[in-house]
Amino acid sequence: MIRISEIQESFRIAFEGLQANKLRSFLTTLGVVIGITFVILMGWFLNGLDAALESTVNLLGTDVMYIDKWSWSGGQNWRKTMQRKNITYQQAMEFCNSVKTAEVSLPEAHKWGTTVKERDRTITGISVIGVPYSYSQLPAGTVLYGRFFSQFEDEYSTNVTVLGYGVAKALFPEGDAIGRTIKIGGRTFEIIGVIIKRGTMMMDFVDNQVIIPISTFFGVYGMTGRSISIAVKAGSAEKLDETRAEATGLMRSIRNVPPGQEEDFSINETQTFKEQVETLRLATWGIGIGLTLLSFIVGIIGIMNIMFVSVTERTKEIGIRKSLGAKSSSILTQFLVESASLCLVGALIAFTFCSVVIAIAVRLVPEADFLTPYVPPQLILIAAIVSIIVGILAGIVPAMRASALDPVEALRYES
Amino acid sequence: MSTPLIHIEHIARTYEMGGETVHALRDVSLDIHSNEYVALMGPSGSGKSTLMNILGCLDTPSLGVYTFKGLDVNEMTDDDLAEIRNKEIGFVFQTFNLLPRATALKNIELPLIYSGISSQIRKERAIKALEDVGLGDRMLHRPNELSGGQRQRVAIARALVTEPSIILADEPTGNLDTKTGIEIMKLFQDLWSKGNTVILVTHEEDIARHARRIIRIRDGKVESDTINPNPVTSFEIP
Ligand SMILES: Nc1ncnc2c1ncn2[C@@H]1O[C@H](COP(=O)(O)OP(=O)(O)OP(=O)(O)O)[C@@H](O)[C@H]1O
Ligand SMILES: [Mg+2]
Repeated sequence: MIRISEIQESFRIAFEGLQANKLRSFLTTLGVVIGITFVILMGWFLNGLDAALESTVNLLGTDVMYIDKWSWSGGQNWRKTMQRKNITYQQAMEFCNSVKTAEVSLPEAHKWGTTVKERDRTITGISVIGVPYSYSQLPAGTVLYGRFFSQFEDEYSTNVTVLGYGVAKALFPEGDAIGRTIKIGGRTFEIIGVIIKRGTMMMDFVDNQVIIPISTFFGVYGMTGRSISIAVKAGSAEKLDETRAEATGLMRSIRNVPPGQEEDFSINETQTFKEQVETLRLATWGIGIGLTLLSFIVGIIGIMNIMFVSVTERTKEIGIRKSLGAKSSSILTQFLVESASLCLVGALIAFTFCSVVIAIAVRLVPEADFLTPYVPPQLILIAAIVSIIVGILAGIVPAMRASALDPVEALRYES
Repeated sequence: MSTPLIHIEHIARTYEMGGETVHALRDVSLDIHSNEYVALMGPSGSGKSTLMNILGCLDTPSLGVYTFKGLDVNEMTDDDLAEIRNKEIGFVFQTFNLLPRATALKNIELPLIYSGISSQIRKERAIKALEDVGLGDRMLHRPNELSGGQRQRVAIARALVTEPSIILADEPTGNLDTKTGIEIMKLFQDLWSKGNTVILVTHEEDIARHARRIIRIRDGKVESDTINPNPVTSFEIP
């Protein structure tokens, strides 16, 4: 058994050694510093990615699915999807009127890549979506300022609009959008509300849209030649399966898909986002792990080397300690603690460095708002554990050599 | 007679050096009892240090039997030997063998660290041991801030702090001037008269004369083993 007093002693020796050889210690930990830097930066980025995904998914609603001609994931054969027939407004309404397991279901008409004008300012790349008033019941329809349009305004094709957060911010940076007018598709609309911010840098399309009543939409852009999507809110994540099953069956019958034949529509869920982000995550890991491993290998070799030097320098000391009753295991611990401490110092340097890099990066790229401006706490723990493991790997062979020294030989050693 | 503290029978120690066998010890048999005061003498290379290392469980014989307090040392594991060195044996070396970066107090605490004694008690006992060798005012000095005699006193305090059964001293005065050497011998005399067992290696007759028994070694064998008829008990500086 290793005793507490011996472990304390090991830490004391390690600390003394670090102090005595500051520059040497710093240089040998460089590999570990770089490795841990990769671990922290990678973790930080993935952490941000997860948070972004999470917030987007939550804001779209985990219990919401969209029935569409297209699949969001784009996984299917593109040619085949192209041949699908549009989902008509009539089909969508038939669906919405018959579906039983959904809490809310409504049609959405989209016009991508349009231009909106406010006096002499123009912004492009905006999508206009036409929805019924019940859209306000979806998480995506939550209003930040003002209000959503009413059933009355919906039925009477009023020219009112609710802006996405990004659009409102671009046109009215002062936050005074409500009551102003903008031009959409050449017509003048009164702004009655602004939707809460939902997207992040990666998925900001959800903020770059303007919402108008669906009846108005058809008046401006026409009803034919476009595929309607159907937003279906199951009510809870548990009901998702049931609702999906009903939606699939109902849609097949509305679209007359014969049994055994593949559906000619897609049911998209927020889950799909996760799959897309997964690709980015894997790429980050792939690059990150490669570089991390490389620097750890360099780091381990450096530390192993310096530990061999340390063992040689202290041969006499090892002899003295053994003559006073230190067991091989005590000596082993002493050197393992020393190399682990060395790596822990490397982790500390890396942590400091990353904190600075992260603070600067967040300031330079404010759009990357999904990234935290600090090192996430769990990463500090991971970095510490990884550095200790690296330290043990690097130290084990020199430590074993030290512990196996013959006491008499070691005492005779003259440096 | 009681069981001897140390009983060695026909022990030998050989070293292989580039295909040649060096016989450091050839055939040594000895009994040493509790509270003996023994001087090991002999010419350089005769095997004194080798014998001391074996007696102190730092080394093991190539041949022969060594029983320490009735226990067969050949049967012991490395950890058992470390335990014996820690609890039963206090080494004093010619070159002091103090840790250069540690203070006198820390050096004395070392063996207690390896017996798992808490830092509080460790410190108390180290201070006591340091005071016993007359260095109570040098606790925080490092070895390079002490004279040779003071360093050897620290080393003796370190050997004593665990209250071992035997003090083994390999030429403890070899690096000291005569006056300091005599001061150190006074410490050994005191230890012995308090009941400790002391074995010391020396090739100075003046030093050996303090011991009660003198064993002479030559070519790895015991040449003579005699009781010292009139041991020196005065510590006047000549
Ligand atoms: N590790 C070793 N390898 C090879 N030979 C050794 C080793 N240690 C001791 N010897 C040899 O064993 C013999 C006895 O050595 P030892 O150190 O015991 O002598 P000593 O009596 O202590 O001498 P001194 O008075 O000079 O200290 C010598 O011939 C020495 O060369
Ligand atoms: Mg010798």
